Amino acid sequence: MIEVRDVGKRYGGVVALAGARFAAEAGEVHGLLGPNGSGKSTINKILAGSVRPDTGSLWVDGRQVQPGSPTESARLGIGAVYQQLTVIPTLDVEQNLLLGTEPGRWGLLDRRAGRERASAMLERLRPALGEHVGPGSLVGDLSPGQQQLIEIGKVLLRRPRILILDEATASLHRPQVDLLFDIVRELREDGVCVLFVSHRLDEILRICDRATILRAGRHVATVDLADTRPDELVRLMVGEKLAETTKVPSARRDEVVLQVDDLHAPGVAGVSLRAHAGEIIGLGGLQGQGQSDLLMTIFGALPRTGGTVTFRGRRLGHYRAARAARMGFALVPGNRGTQGMFSLRSIQENLSIVSLWRRTMAGFGISMRRERSAAREAVERLAIRLGSLDDPVSSLSGGNAQKVIVAKWLLSDPVVILLDDPTKGVDVGAKAEIYQIIRTLAAEGCTIVINSSDDRELAVLSDRVLVLFEGAVVAELEGEEIDEERLVSSALLVSARADREVSG
Amino acid sequence: MTVRTDAGDALRRLTTTHLPSWMPWLLLLVAVALSATLRDNFFSQYSISSTFATFVPLVLVAVGQAIVIIGGGLDLSIGAVAALSSVVAITVMGGDDGRVLLGVLAALATGMACGAVNGLIVAGLRLQPLITTFATASVFGGVTLWVLPTPGGRVPGMITGTFRLAIVGIPVTVWLVLLVAAAWFLLKRTRLMRHIYAMGGDPAAAYASLVPVRRSQALSYVLAGAFAGLAGLAILANSGSGDPFIGGAMALDSVAAVVIGGIALRGGIGSPLGAIGGAMVLSLASSILFFVGVPSTYRPLAEGLVVIAALALSALSDRRKT
Repeated sequence: MIEVRDVGKRYGGVVALAGARFAAEAGEVHGLLGPNGSGKSTINKILAGSVRPDTGSLWVDGRQVQPGSPTESARLGIGAVYQQLTVIPTLDVEQNLLLGTEPGRWGLLDRRAGRERASAMLERLRPALGEHVGPGSLVGDLSPGQQQLIEIGKVLLRRPRILILDEATASLHRPQVDLLFDIVRELREDGVCVLFVSHRLDEILRICDRATILRAGRHVATVDLADTRPDELVRLMVGEKLAETTKVPSARRDEVVLQVDDLHAPGVAGVSLRAHAGEIIGLGGLQGQGQSDLLMTIFGALPRTGGTVTFRGRRLGHYRAARAARMGFALVPGNRGTQGMFSLRSIQENLSIVSLWRRTMAGFGISMRRERSAAREAVERLAIRLGSLDDPVSSLSGGNAQKVIVAKWLLSDPVVILLDDPTKGVDVGAKAEIYQIIRTLAAEGCTIVINSSDDRELAVLSDRVLVLFEGAVVAELEGEEIDEERLVSSALLVSARADREVSG
Repeated sequence: MTVRTDAGDALRRLTTTHLPSWMPWLLLLVAVALSATLRDNFFSQYSISSTFATFVPLVLVAVGQAIVIIGGGLDLSIGAVAALSSVVAITVMGGDDGRVLLGVLAALATGMACGAVNGLIVAGLRLQPLITTFATASVFGGVTLWVLPTPGGRVPGMITGTFRLAIVGIPVTVWLVLLVAAAWFLLKRTRLMRHIYAMGGDPAAAYASLVPVRRSQALSYVLAGAFAGLAGLAILANSGSGDPFIGGAMALDSVAAVVIGGIALRGGIGSPLGAIGGAMVLSLASSILFFVGVPSTYRPLAEGLVVIAALALSALSDRRKT
């Protein structure tokens, strides 16, 4: 009924899909599985019409199609529940359920017909939604789980023949998941083809008939789930073990530089950690489980709501990012474009912006000579390939731009370096160079906390890895224990265990 | 970097916050009470009629502005569009009662055409509404001077006369404001308006939810243009002659009315009814200032302060909620 053939997609230098394929039949629930960055979400976006593939083709009912917008995709009978919710918080439940398919004539809404359709769906979702949600409730006031259900209801009201559920259960509790699965089974009876994307292994096993496993944007296998064991799935996701990457001996010293106890903040639920000088601590787990929030909170860029941060034996009160930077904290953010740099300004200005205060004379005025020599030193230290210090950062490749961001923090001589997915979208060569920089910094005694969506990267770099789930540390791997397979399985199996606890 | 995030958050907070929906009506009550104490015959039929006569143009542009802002846009050219519509209408009518209908249609068509220009540039070329409408305001202003270089012309007696009438004891100008409110109740029931609200709430989510975002965006400017065209007619009815310079302050006034009316500048939240209230508050405030003896040169200053006060108040009331 739906087939994806050899689809490829690049975002700039990053390959999201490189020849992914699968086919699913009417009346089938087909799972899409893969570790972080395997390209699952990109496939869904292509099917939903919000992203166009560079190569390959889509086939629906044996005909080649090319949806160019969500509307065209809907016309083909494809309904997509996105991982990123598309409910409108400022509209009420009924308006959201009907959005885009409001019944009416000559541009005027038929309010009674609309109310009937919305109420029918609302009753269907009622057991999971709770008693207090009516058609007039503002969606922005609902819990994430309830919003997710409204999103699902909205797509179901379009009566899709092909339904995509992209991490649709991420914010649902067990009873809500049960209701969704009942609905999915009914749809299967009616001959609807359901594509189910989830990182929860147990859910895939519960609901799906077959599953396609993707890795690094490629098709790995399509399996019948009736005769596949969970550990086989994990093995397929991780792939054959590569030749052991050279692991550098730890530069860890005895001095505890940073101690965090029971830290609470938006997205962070009680994290404790002790970081030594020269130590590299990795933050692992599925993406978006609070890793970035933890780093931002330690850096003072997100408000801490509970817990303590102790730096070099001194307990810190509330502080802002600017003070943290002066104390010796550095944050290399994950979103290069928006948080890390002023892309149109010169490389030199970008390099010097965070450490300006060190080179100002009598509180104002910047010595251009000192600024230039400091910038030159950083460029040499990191082997950044550039034309001139006066070129804009946007003229650099992704890898070199990322090195500029790392470099600008080095100029402020940091003690604790927080790296938030530093090699996202960086080519392999630059990755290796950034690893080298990180190791050098650790050898010089810096404490490094690194969040990465790339499990291989964590395995190569970290002395210790904390696996996060829903803002809390659920597993800790140390030294030899750290390998990709353990990282993936602890992230996945933990999520399964957490579900069972919620339901039990 | 973090400084930028903080500033971004502050800006977002400031633009998504909005005054509670009862606020314009409370302010209106205060303004009416003040006006009544300052002026003896405030509640006489003549006074009400002429007070509402000053309301009507601003009420119309405020509703137009409200629709655009709810959709997540901004129309700084709305005053210029009203002015252009008024000079086109007065030129078409030439003081002849028999051509009033033609004049009305000309004003509407001019307004909608200008709105279409804005809409096509903003939605089609995806340029920033702020810059776009700032620029088109100049263009429309230039065309206005080309159509009518100096103040003058005669408005047909039928229009000015009707404006001073009363129907079943209620002045026509009051009826007109009620009519605008009624028009909103009809508009609210259109699919377009629903989509404009959705688009203002979250444009990316609306696009993914099958809302024809670009078309709705363009049409929101056309709607605003239509209201501006009607405002142009109201200006004529009120002043009795044409004035190419009349639209100057209306754009800021309309934004002020929208803010006072409890509409979020970020879009998605609020009702044009509030903007109607806001427009009346603003008009009354301006006449109060006149009666207290504040020279008219200081009025823009006072109005600017009112806008800032309204924004600050909305930010405060929102912070208390969370």
